[in-house]
Amino acid sequence: MATDDLTLVKRVRSGDQRAFKLLVERYQRKVYSVALGMVKDREEAMDVSQEAFVKVHKYLDHFKGDSSFYTWLYRITVNICIDVLRRRAAAKGEHVELDENIQLDSAEANIGALGSRLGTNPQKSLLRKELAAKIEEALQEVPEKHRAILLLRELEGMSYEDLARTLEIPKGTVMSRLFHARAKIQKILNKYLELDEAKSGIGSE
Amino acid sequence: MASKTACEEFIPKLSAFIDGELSPKERVDVERHLSACSDCVGRAADLRAESALIRVGMEMLADDVDFRDFSQRVMARLTPERPPLLERWKISLGELFTYRRGAIASFAAAAVAAFVVGAVSVARSGMPEGYASPRMAVQTVSTDPEAHVAPVVMKSEGGDAIIWLVSHRHGLEASGGGRTEEVQTEELDMEPKPAKQSTPAPKLNQERPRGGEL
Repeated sequence: MATDDLTLVKRVRSGDQRAFKLLVERYQRKVYSVALGMVKDREEAMDVSQEAFVKVHKYLDHFKGDSSFYTWLYRITVNICIDVLRRRAAAKGEHVELDENIQLDSAEANIGALGSRLGTNPQKSLLRKELAAKIEEALQEVPEKHRAILLLRELEGMSYEDLARTLEIPKGTVMSRLFHARAKIQKILNKYLELDEAKSGIGSE
Repeated sequence: MASKTACEEFIPKLSAFIDGELSPKERVDVERHLSACSDCVGRAADLRAESALIRVGMEMLADDVDFRDFSQRVMARLTPERPPLLERWKISLGELFTYRRGAIASFAAAAVAAFVVGAVSVARSGMPEGYASPRMAVQTVSTDPEAHVAPVVMKSEGGDAIIWLVSHRHGLEASGGGRTEEVQTEELDMEPKPAKQSTPAPKLNQERPRGGEL
């Protein structure tokens, strides 16, 4: 059985650097996926991931064992991502959307469309690259804090409790942000799939 | 058939419903509504599909990335408290010993030989220069850019002493045996030891081992 996170953290604190390498290897892919969903750019996502681990190592003494190691790791990751996004927006002179109160467009043209097109368990092999790219793009349409919640939920399967702890927000906020983020992404994906089907003629059978 | 207003009440809960995050009572309420509302069944299915899509899609993108040297790169960026100078020296010397064992061995042999010679010379002609005081302080450490430099570690009672062996080609050719040898210690309170090249032992009174520059 793999050594648990807290044991590894203890070993790192007592000077065992290999234990830290194990932690990195355990979480690198997940941290990267979250970072990629947040910042979209591959290289930036890679930088963020490295930065997150470097920071975690640096502040390991500040990590109290009262939360899971991974909630702490993801909090650091998300915060670095948000910094990157703000710097990027500032560089472009854009107003940064600071979250909250996105209007929910209740016009649902095609209920059940996504579910019937894709089923609830799409296989990786069946999923096309363009669709994956579209998902990534759709994610960018969601305010950063909503996006963070959505990614942590979908990629890490975090419970609402853990999400609340990771992002330091009430559980009710987790619930409503997830709901809004999903609604928005669904709209974008539906539109994309419609266009796609109109183009290729699939769905007309 | 469920009313439109009923849907409005339940729609915001569907997301938490598919996540299994509703309270038992809320869940029962949603399930009851679903049994009467095909629209909301469709909505829940959409949410599940979307959830899976995001997961699979993002995993797919991460699959493109090669993580083989990721942890290595992270480890390289870590800045632990700098190990003491001596530790760092041991590490780099350890590498030297691993990769250039042959060369080092001959230098070490030479150093030991030189030490013996030095000892003999001490016995014959008294203390060599620089040995007047029991401990010497190193002021500067420098090497000639043209010289061939190789470090050798000799264990002494007080700890490791790192000794530079410098063979100066020009000096060797010009004066035939009148080599320049520098012996430098690493830490201030370490006993320096004389060291010599593997070339024939010098005439004892002509050249005596010297300590580091004082």
